[in-house]
Amino acid sequence: MADRLLDYSGLKCPYPILKLSVQYPQFKEGEIVEVIGDCPTFEKDIKAWCQKLGKTIINLEKHGLKIKVTIRI
Amino acid sequence: MHEATVCTEGCFIKCKNFFCEHGQRLSELLHLCSDVIEKIGKGDTSQKIDIKVERYSLQRLIDSINKLSKDIEELINLNHELAIGICEHFDVLRRLQEGDFSAKASEDSSIEIVKMLGQLINRQRERFLDYIDKIKEQHSEMVKIYEQERVILSSIGVAILITEEDMTVEFVNEEFERLTGYTKKEIEGKMRWSDFIPEDILPQAIEYHKLRRISPSLAPSQYEIKIKDKHGRIKDALMTVAMIPYTKKSIKSIIDITERKKIQEQLLHSQKIESLGMLSGRIAHEYKNILTGVLGFAAILDAKIQDENLKKYVQKIVEAGQRARDLSNTLLTFSRKEDISTVTKINLNKFLVNYSEFLRSIIGRDIELKLNLPESEVLYEIDPAHLEVIVLNLVTNSRDAMPEGGEVVITLNEIHLNSDYQNTHPLVKPGNYLVLSISDTGTGMDEETKKRVFEPFFTTKPKGKGTGLGLTTVYGLVKGYNGHIHLYSELGQGTTFKIYFPQKNKINMELINKEILKGNETVLLVDDDAQVRQYIGSFLRDYGYTVYEAENGEQALKIFEEYKEKIDLCLIDFIMPVITGLEVKKRINSINPKTKILIMSGNPITLKDTTIIEKSISPEEILFKIRNILDQKE
Ligand SMILES: Nc1ncnc2c1ncn2[C@@H]1O[C@H](COP(=O)(O)OP(=O)(O)O)[C@@H](O)[C@H]1O
Ligand SMILES: [Mg+2]
Repeated sequence: MADRLLDYSGLKCPYPILKLSVQYPQFKEGEIVEVIGDCPTFEKDIKAWCQKLGKTIINLEKHGLKIKVTIRI
Repeated sequence: MHEATVCTEGCFIKCKNFFCEHGQRLSELLHLCSDVIEKIGKGDTSQKIDIKVERYSLQRLIDSINKLSKDIEELINLNHELAIGICEHFDVLRRLQEGDFSAKASEDSSIEIVKMLGQLINRQRERFLDYIDKIKEQHSEMVKIYEQERVILSSIGVAILITEEDMTVEFVNEEFERLTGYTKKEIEGKMRWSDFIPEDILPQAIEYHKLRRISPSLAPSQYEIKIKDKHGRIKDALMTVAMIPYTKKSIKSIIDITERKKIQEQLLHSQKIESLGMLSGRIAHEYKNILTGVLGFAAILDAKIQDENLKKYVQKIVEAGQRARDLSNTLLTFSRKEDISTVTKINLNKFLVNYSEFLRSIIGRDIELKLNLPESEVLYEIDPAHLEVIVLNLVTNSRDAMPEGGEVVITLNEIHLNSDYQNTHPLVKPGNYLVLSISDTGTGMDEETKKRVFEPFFTTKPKGKGTGLGLTTVYGLVKGYNGHIHLYSELGQGTTFKIYFPQKNKINMELINKEILKGNETVLLVDDDAQVRQYIGSFLRDYGYTVYEAENGEQALKIFEEYKEKIDLCLIDFIMPVITGLEVKKRINSINPKTKILIMSGNPITLKDTTIIEKSISPEEILFKIRNILDQKE
């Protein structure tokens, strides 16, 4: 079970990662966060973000255009 | 992918044949173009139209769309790289701000400004770390200074106390512990400054404490105060106070002047007695002159008058005059600095034994007189008449203090007073003394009486019984021999007067049996002066000792190392080049702590835990001292 759900559906990249960068410092370390997006470059962006900031992607699911990424902060 | 199609007509638009398959193809192609453009709009630039048509305008559209896709893709990539760069740097800055200095920005972005931003952040971070290091360094430097100061304050030989505004004690040093008897633990943070002040002066102390914080210049910075210790004892102290800058705390340094005050009082007291004596002596002298006249003319009158009745009156005048002259003479004994004329060497033991017969007759049956005399005979040069007056006065006073009976003990002994003793008794020179003490189990005296006993005419006895001149006379006589009197008295317990007569020849060697100075022990004699070595060595050998001689510390240690089993005593010069006498003593004791050591000095000195003899004393005295040490009498 995720501790938090962030739905960025309808937001064009790179808005989702910009928003995530601002929001995530409030989360606790080790928290599990689900991020949803439907922009075509969302997957690429979120992966790059996780790599640069040293976060781990636990799971990645695709439902049509929507992508749900589970991250450990 | 879409197949390449070629319209045979060459122009799709002008095609009249609605059902021409080429015409259908055109509309499909246009739909495809719209789809791709829509996707590009959403940011999906993965689609390319890979179709070649012959018609130029159409081919241009397809090429434009493909170019658009490529251009947009570049823009998107740039956008993403910017965004991810911002995200990353934002996160690093945030972590740094939160104090996480492990955060470091990456400097590998292909966008120059993002890369430089990363470098800037890292440089800023390093500069920050440098500052922090510097601050840490300064801090540890300050901690060191603080600790050094505390050690200085702790170990300084003046009592120190730091108080807060509310008088709570924040810090005290070891000397303060010694002064008050409390431990640091008991005091710091728990006790107040006021806990150390006797009640009677507390209001004033509090007043100064407050005033100092309002207007420091108005409160005295140095004054005498009284300190109450753990056992309730009150000590006189001299205190210096200062405010600690930037705080409401004050630092007090306190010197115990109890002893000094007591000594001052002793001095004042003896000066007072002396001046009173002088005054009464002067008056007595004047009176004696007048009385000479009175008695002279009375004698003439006596010779001239025939009438027996009148003669009786003249006789009375003569008697009264004679009594007055006797009194004047007594007073003069006290003040006169006359030569002690009939001084003879007398055997005090014998004198006291003989005189006690007479004393017993005057003290009555209810009082027991005991003599406590040393076995060896004590000789002293004194006028026996003076000694009689002294003893008689003291013993009669004891008798008067014991109406119900009791005990008087007369003790005679010899002692050496060192310079430590002089610290508390400034009037007494260090040296050897003969002590004559007379103790009783009588009424004792209160403090007021004790202070005044030596004053002329001071008496607590009823009129006709006491003259108040007994102790005055004793005082005057003892002073005449450069002696001192000490008085110990406890109300209801009894009184002891101790008279210290200085001894010119410290030990009366004539009375010492030469046999007892002999010994067969082994002595290590260390002195850099060959003459001294020869002199002391020769009489040591004469008296049976085996002597090793060393001319310096190094040689002494070598000899000691070799013969440590044999050597019983070391006789070491105090001042020697290279290794001092005390250092030699220390090293010898570290080899064998039990070895007996005697330090020889040219000057009279005293040192803790060290037996010292003056070189100037006679060989017999040195031998006597050595014997005492070897026989463990000292
Ligand atoms: N042994 C003693 N015990 C108690 N009081 C003493 C003793 N010796 C002296 N005094 C006190 O000192 C006072 C002065 O003594 P002194 O000078 O001999 O004069 P006097 O004996 O004539 O009174 C005495 O009156 C007495 O109060
Ligand atoms: Mg008397």
